[in-house]
Amino acid sequence: MKKLQGIAVSPGVVIGETLVMDNEGFRIPQRFVARDAIDGEVDRLDKAIAAAGQEIAANRDAVSKELGEKYGAIFEAHLQMLRDARLHSELEEMIRERHYSPEYAVSRTLRRYAQVFQRLESSYLAERVSDIFDIEKRLLRHLLGHQREELSHLTSPVLVLAHNLTPSETANLNRKFVRGFVTEVGGPGSHTAIVAEALEIPAVVGTGPFLAEVSGGDQVIIDGDNGLVVLRPDEETLARYQHEVEEIRTLAARLEPLRDLPTETRDGVRLRLLGNIEFPYEVDHCIDRGADGVGLYRTEFLYLGSKTEPTEEIHYQAYSQVVRTMGERPVTIRTFDLGADKVPHLRSPEEERNPFLGLRSIRLALRNLPMFRTQLRAILRASSLGNVQIMFPLVSTLLELRQAKMVLADVMEDLQEHGIEFQRDVPIGMMVEVPAAVMMIDDFVEEVAFVSIGTNDLVQYTLAVDRSNRDVVGLYNPADPAVLKLIQKTIDAANRKSIPVNLCGQMSGSPVYTMLLLGLGLRQFSVSPSAMPEIKNICRRVTIDECNAVANRVMAMENARDIKSYLGGEFKKRVPEVRVDSG
Amino acid sequence: MSDSKAIRSVTITNPTGVHLRAATLIAGVVRGFDAEVVLKKGFEDAKGTDVLQIASLVAELGDQVSLEARGSDAERVLDALEQLFAENFAENRENTEEAKS
Repeated sequence: MKKLQGIAVSPGVVIGETLVMDNEGFRIPQRFVARDAIDGEVDRLDKAIAAAGQEIAANRDAVSKELGEKYGAIFEAHLQMLRDARLHSELEEMIRERHYSPEYAVSRTLRRYAQVFQRLESSYLAERVSDIFDIEKRLLRHLLGHQREELSHLTSPVLVLAHNLTPSETANLNRKFVRGFVTEVGGPGSHTAIVAEALEIPAVVGTGPFLAEVSGGDQVIIDGDNGLVVLRPDEETLARYQHEVEEIRTLAARLEPLRDLPTETRDGVRLRLLGNIEFPYEVDHCIDRGADGVGLYRTEFLYLGSKTEPTEEIHYQAYSQVVRTMGERPVTIRTFDLGADKVPHLRSPEEERNPFLGLRSIRLALRNLPMFRTQLRAILRASSLGNVQIMFPLVSTLLELRQAKMVLADVMEDLQEHGIEFQRDVPIGMMVEVPAAVMMIDDFVEEVAFVSIGTNDLVQYTLAVDRSNRDVVGLYNPADPAVLKLIQKTIDAANRKSIPVNLCGQMSGSPVYTMLLLGLGLRQFSVSPSAMPEIKNICRRVTIDECNAVANRVMAMENARDIKSYLGGEFKKRVPEVRVDSG
Repeated sequence: MSDSKAIRSVTITNPTGVHLRAATLIAGVVRGFDAEVVLKKGFEDAKGTDVLQIASLVAELGDQVSLEARGSDAERVLDALEQLFAENFAENRENTEEAKS
């Protein structure tokens, strides 16, 4: 058994068999072989070793002839490794004694060797690791032969373990069978995190290197609530987690009937519970949970994974699907919110030392007007199909907001000239996620139809903490009084002006904060669809008076830890059946 | 005499340790003689012809490795191996990094 600590990016607990993805997308289809098949399997192993050996020898000869003897030396080394007598007896024993499939035995054994080398820090030793992986891949290629399946052809549930997942890799995964993700790198904003949340499966990222220690088919537990990954769990750990999985299932079943009940407090104050989505199909998850609308429709996926800029038609297809499905209910579309480094078709930016403080989001949009206009045109066209709102991200100054609105007005004029239908009075709002915008919020509320507080970035910018940096992620805390004061200021300004104020960061989907936020005057929550039942549940158990009392108490406290533990206690009193996660 | 035995100890002096290519060279030397060789570092051992095992000893700069030979060429194979270690696996003559790339 081995435990890894990473960053929790998508909640839930799942236990299952692993699919280890490397750059060739290999998978180990079967872990065990039947007793009467053992001789045949050993034979298959021997043939694969022989075939791989011939291949390496041919490479060695060709390279030596072409480039000289010393260049062929590495293939000679591979060949000798492959013919290592102890390696062979270890592999054979695994098949004969433990009934492992040759594929699983090869992967387990060679990864164990890789681990020996990887423990060493010097770089030339790391090079040996790639030699071992090279041999592993070669052997697997011969063992799996033509049966090697594509990731899109998965036929049984798996947990995907990878160094990093790219949009094209996740695009090829068969959604039906992927039950969880773990990646060695990445942070809360990584592609893996977004996709996992969209698929509503547990995910942990940023664990650091571990792939050498795991083979396809190994049993793994992903604890997406606490950012933990357990490789090859012992029986006790397994039993504990099985119990937890069961509890989560029971709770979900208990919350199911809430679906058709309104989101309102015990004293009858009606609230709006909205969904955060990234992919058009998630709109179905919103409908399933009885969402009052889409509070945050992220549009980044349109730009990722494609080498060319998305056309207006691609934008329009995606938006119209969501808008049509939601019908009368509002859909808030957030414009482009990425850094230049993530967009393949944009010129690579100057080296950014602080990408979060760099050219991204609305700043990038305003510097790439044709791209920005394409998106705005598509959003406006979709606005005629339902109830659309437009939201600009990362607005820091009034000037920026006015510029963005001017571009929008210009696009509207253009559409009008061409007689293309759109909603003329489409509500325009902004994300409040930069402390500067909070300080100027009284001016901003005069110029927008709504605001939405993005706590993920607001916390990061206020506390000067990069939450994808494992060394400081412990300092990232939405319960910090400085953050809460900024949230309060924003809610107060919006309420004074009587414009809707929404909160769409992860804080919104964590039921521990619900009472506090209600007490601060928030009446709209935008959360990932999977979090909706729990948020609705807590809302329906409290009164506004109780929440006001909680908020008053919290706003007088001076550190995040006290606030967190007080809120945890208050939550537990109202919803005793739910455990409070530490996240 | 086919059962003659010899033991010697060498200290690793090349900065990159007994890497894969060095292990290949060791195995190459051992195969040229009529003797069985075992390399030992601490509690771990490796047959002189098993490249992966030799590399897995992870013998690094400054480590001591004992060489045990058995067979009619026992002394001669150790002479040859000692020379190989002393020459830092010929790294001075050839650029290893280049050879690996």
